[in-house]
Amino acid sequence: MTQPLQTTSVLHFAAAFGTGGLLSLMVLFNGTLAAYGSLFFASWVPHLTGTVAALVFLMIMRPKRARPARPPLWVYLGGVSGAVTVMLTSATLNSALALSGTIALGLAGQMVFSLFADMRGLFGLPQRTPVQRDYLALTLIIAGSLILIFFGASR
Amino acid sequence: MIIYASLAILAGILVSLSRQINGRLALSTSAMESSFWNHIVGLVFITAVAVLVGGLFAGEPQASPWWAYLGGPVGVIFIAAGSWLIARIGAAQTALLIIAGQMISGVVLDVIMGAPGNLWARVIGVGLILAGMWVAHGGKKA
Repeated sequence: MTQPLQTTSVLHFAAAFGTGGLLSLMVLFNGTLAAYGSLFFASWVPHLTGTVAALVFLMIMRPKRARPARPPLWVYLGGVSGAVTVMLTSATLNSALALSGTIALGLAGQMVFSLFADMRGLFGLPQRTPVQRDYLALTLIIAGSLILIFFGASR
Repeated sequence: MIIYASLAILAGILVSLSRQINGRLALSTSAMESSFWNHIVGLVFITAVAVLVGGLFAGEPQASPWWAYLGGPVGVIFIAAGSWLIARIGAAQTALLIIAGQMISGVVLDVIMGAPGNLWARVIGVGLILAGMWVAHGGKKA
């Protein structure tokens, strides 16, 4: 099943953009925790309160299971990958890379691996082949992001 | 320096990897259940590492403002949304639009909170990102 990336609906588009806004709030909240407590604490607290919040949301929403068959065990390990990310960035933040270098290189790693994953259809997700328009959009958004990271803000 | 640069790139790769794994879990269960497992497994892992390394409660965590504790519930929605989106618009498109949203909302937050910054860099940066989103969305009905 090959589907070009440009078939994004307005709903998906707005949801993804808004999700990025949530990330800014998380950086603000968790970064404030890190300013008072340890970096472990700043990652431990949102995971703890997040677990409770997710349970509450699940009890309210009661979402149906999409497939009756049990998925393989490795699909439950996404949280480990996310937790290791926090530890890696807390190491690089205190190096010569600082915040801007950490974010910029992180964006690069994230985009290259995402494109690779789409092309191969890794981890049982739909395979997609990016088209020229996608690369143009990527270039513009990453260029704008790098300008903001290195020249735009003081934090 | 090369080591730190590699670690920063690896961190970005892990962000994408985590979203793909959670997205795969959401395909079998639901986006919210995927977010729940992401958080509880991450919690167990961080707790284990923090117990081994120590220093979890170092500093003055009790002095932080109450709203700083809201990152958890926001993160639940963030992970659920990412898991939902990645199966529908792909890993690259999801990552790119989340980055666009993060960058632009970051500028808005900075302006609201009065953080100093270069006006022209902000205008050009936001302009390029908006142009990129316009390009990404332009071919929708092609």
